[in-house]
Amino acid sequence: MTLLSVSDVTHRYPITVSEIPVLNRVNLEVEEGSVVAVVGESGCGKTSLGRVIVGLVRPLEGEVRYEGKDIWDLSKKEHAAYRRAVQVVHQDPYASLNPGLTVEETLKTGLLYHHIVTRRTARSELFRLLESVGLEATPAFLRRYPHQLSGGQRQRLVIARTMGLRPRLVVADEAVSMLDVSMRVAVLDLLLSMRSELNLAYVFISHDFGVVRYFARGGRIVVMFFGVVVEEGPAEQLIRHPRHPYTFLLLDAVPVPDPKVARRRRTEATKVAAERVTGEPSATGCVFSNRCPYAEDKCRVDTPPLVDSGPQHGHRVACWFPDKVPDLQAVLGASAEGRAMPEGAVLSGR
Amino acid sequence: MTVGREGAGPALIEVDNLTVSFGRLRAVEEVSLTVAEGEVCALVGESGCGKSTLAYSLLSMVPPPGVVSSGEVRYRGRSVTRMSRKQLNEFRAADVAIVFQAAMNALNPVLTVGRQVEHILSSHPDAFATAGEGREYFERLLQLVRLPPGGVWGSYESRLSGGMKQRVAIAIAMLLRPSALVLDEPTTALDVLNQRLVIDILRDLHETLGTTIIFVTHDLGLVAEMAERVAVMYAGRLVEVGTVDEIFYGSRRHPYAKALIEAIPSVVRDEALIKSIPGQVPNLLDLPRGCRFGPRCELARPACAEAEPPLVSDRDGHSVACYVANEMLERAVVAP
Repeated sequence: MTLLSVSDVTHRYPITVSEIPVLNRVNLEVEEGSVVAVVGESGCGKTSLGRVIVGLVRPLEGEVRYEGKDIWDLSKKEHAAYRRAVQVVHQDPYASLNPGLTVEETLKTGLLYHHIVTRRTARSELFRLLESVGLEATPAFLRRYPHQLSGGQRQRLVIARTMGLRPRLVVADEAVSMLDVSMRVAVLDLLLSMRSELNLAYVFISHDFGVVRYFARGGRIVVMFFGVVVEEGPAEQLIRHPRHPYTFLLLDAVPVPDPKVARRRRTEATKVAAERVTGEPSATGCVFSNRCPYAEDKCRVDTPPLVDSGPQHGHRVACWFPDKVPDLQAVLGASAEGRAMPEGAVLSGR
Repeated sequence: MTVGREGAGPALIEVDNLTVSFGRLRAVEEVSLTVAEGEVCALVGESGCGKSTLAYSLLSMVPPPGVVSSGEVRYRGRSVTRMSRKQLNEFRAADVAIVFQAAMNALNPVLTVGRQVEHILSSHPDAFATAGEGREYFERLLQLVRLPPGGVWGSYESRLSGGMKQRVAIAIAMLLRPSALVLDEPTTALDVLNQRLVIDILRDLHETLGTTIIFVTHDLGLVAEMAERVAVMYAGRLVEVGTVDEIFYGSRRHPYAKALIEAIPSVVRDEALIKSIPGQVPNLLDLPRGCRFGPRCELARPACAEAEPPLVSDRDGHSVACYVANEMLERAVVAP
């Protein structure tokens, strides 16, 4: 069942100088208990999309529906339920906790507001929450302030605050990008375990395909470029066989923790030209045509529609020449053959 | 003992048994490390392991109340730790330059990039024959960091994107032609495309100008892409030093370095092979007895909790501070 849908959403911020909207006719469906990852570079509109989903931004055009109802047209009671059911985990655990509130106050406020606990039953629920996110469930810990916690602990606390409200959809906006690489997997695992426990759906926003591949397995990936969805499809399919040049560029940019692959790529001179990384979007034709290595005249004039592509159903791409995009394996091939690394850091042939 | 690679270029920077203390807390403890001229060296570890403090001490800029309580840092044989303020002013930027973490926030918002470059040139009048020559050199650096030469000079930082600011900061750090560039988390806070660009640029600087690069990171992916040599730190101490191949593929490895590598979510790696590291980094004021990684280590034995394992080097200069790993070494040495 579709829990939340975004249809034909277009948005411009009033202060934007450029004519290009931050979101341009974006469509997105989130099924109950599913994961949808939104991937793109800084400034591509992925955070704006998250803000539209949680109702912090009202888009100029288009609709956001929660359980089939327009979120900007809900009764007071329905609105309260929507607000509780759709939660967000922000990027920066240093900024998303009130420095003047203790752990107890941080966790309790929302629980009391939504009548999930009473003042009398709060304590035991707080301990249960702390334990569920792997934090110390002691009275002493409840009295701590955010500055007394490490980055990883803060993000766990944010997650506990979110999960206490028993949401049905969580928008995780770069939820692990501020954390040490060594902590990321632990926090991702925590979020995934919450998913199975609470039948949660996630909209997982990130610029890093490494993290996305780990989190969105079995789910869907949406790739955005300057407000436009350029490709979407089942996670594994999209990563192995990207159909849009921008998706390939993003995949190819992720540092590979394998020095042999890194050296080989260096000699092959697959250097990303600066203009591909920082170029402005094109105002006419395909948005990516300014930066696309395969762009032809057609691309600079006609905007490609988002249409089905490839053998697998539900893999859509907005590109006139998707067949020019190489498979990821073609680039990382050598690591896939010789399992040089004892731990075998390669795409398995499933 | 100085840990280094035999047969590499001459030593440029030597860290000799360095301890940096913040009151009772020892952020860097008995660290010895040699960086050869022309090398790309990574300092790796989790938050709070002392890697940034070590990087700052290379330029003798440990923030107060931190002090070097023993040992020293030498640059071409001269003690940096004992330099006077005046000597340090000459040394920093001209010999070893640093790009701070979040360097995109380090630019002055009310001066154009060009004005900031002119300030540096006027306070180091000996660096170039004429100021015009200095400006020309900066234009060349802008090309190396792949920024349009004309577009940046008259810009304020607010007109530049995060990735562009980072590259401007790198160009400014390179302005006085330092032999070595220290970078603290050069790719953190950048998206993957800008990360890739910064990696390529630093490799270019290394190859075209021969600059020695020392960078601090928690990301082993970045290490694999850039580094030739790697020093892994844990709770203030070096636990493994070796070439990038020894760190990633060696048979004798520190369990912590191995765990760090296995914790990276990557596009090319099966999720079943990705493991998080259990437990947490210890409090530096309340360290476990013996090996500091012991409580989180799957190979730990009773002996590990008794005394701190020493950093033991093999013939190639690959050093590991782990009892279990170093048993292999003894066997290998004894075997023939």
